[in-house]
Amino acid sequence: MNNDIPLNWFLYFAAASFAIGLVGVMLRRNAIAVLMAIEIILNAANVNLVAFWRYGPPAPGSGPLPGVILAILVITVAAAEVAVGIGLILLCYRRWRVADVDRYDTMSG
Amino acid sequence: MASILFLVIAAIGVAAALGTVLSRNLVRAGLYLVAFFFAVACLFVLLEAEFLAAIQVLVYIGAVAILLMFGIMLTRDTLGDDTTAIPIAWMVPGLFMGLCVFAVLVVGINNSIAPSGWSPWEGTTSRPSLAPRESEPAWIAERREAVNDMPRVIGVELMTRYVVAFEVAGLLLTAALVGAIALAHREDVEPRAPRATARAAETGPPPEAGEPVASSALS
Repeated sequence: MNNDIPLNWFLYFAAASFAIGLVGVMLRRNAIAVLMAIEIILNAANVNLVAFWRYGPPAPGSGPLPGVILAILVITVAAAEVAVGIGLILLCYRRWRVADVDRYDTMSG
Repeated sequence: MASILFLVIAAIGVAAALGTVLSRNLVRAGLYLVAFFFAVACLFVLLEAEFLAAIQVLVYIGAVAILLMFGIMLTRDTLGDDTTAIPIAWMVPGLFMGLCVFAVLVVGINNSIAPSGWSPWEGTTSRPSLAPRESEPAWIAERREAVNDMPRVIGVELMTRYVVAFEVAGLLLTAALVGAIALAHREDVEPRAPRATARAAETGPPPEAGEPVASSALS
């Protein structure tokens, strides 16, 4: 068994991925690209969950693998979010003929 | 050895994430996203969660990336890809913001405050060993069984301890399915004014097209 990866390295990787995903959400104007950046953010959260599960002692009464179950639920939610998000983007594209989130301003005051 | 492997995988993952965010071509961004998902799956293997790595590959690379590719294919702007380019004036403050967020997170990681009764995790450099030995705590044996036989343990846990979360996830998936179908189904309800006018423009004005039919019906 390899015991020589510090826990902090996984957290650094997750933090870097989260920051990159956040930059993508802020900078990109294409709606599909924004969805991709959201997927990066969710994956960073998953890395954190699994790393804390493997490196730490479990909380009392939490079972053998709480982090993995939580990661599976996050994956489920991400899949549902992408399905609905693609449907919404296609609907907006059909109406405005462009996949630009700056142009979807019907609800702006 | 494992740390070198981790550094290589993490470098590939971060580079792929950067490529996803900064790439101008959306198809290339999607392929970079596949590389990022695969790097995360490799990290799951390094964390001894092989079943989760398999789920990651199946669900993210097999389903989510393909769905995003279909989205790219269906929304490609034929007049030009100016929505996918990032203006230089936005790029500098955006990257600065990203660096600031990363710096804040690193400071938080390096100055963790442990809850009372727990050891702080910022100095954790090795995972608890799962090798069988005498007089080990009960959770070591539990976790060893979970790591060695993860699909079965995940199934048992989902059916016993996390059954409410499991049901809620099923409800969410059903709602997402119905919602996606409802969103996509509106296509048939919407009036197709642009296409009808385009066809009318091609075939000429409607009265001329209607006259021969009417005359033939009269005669």
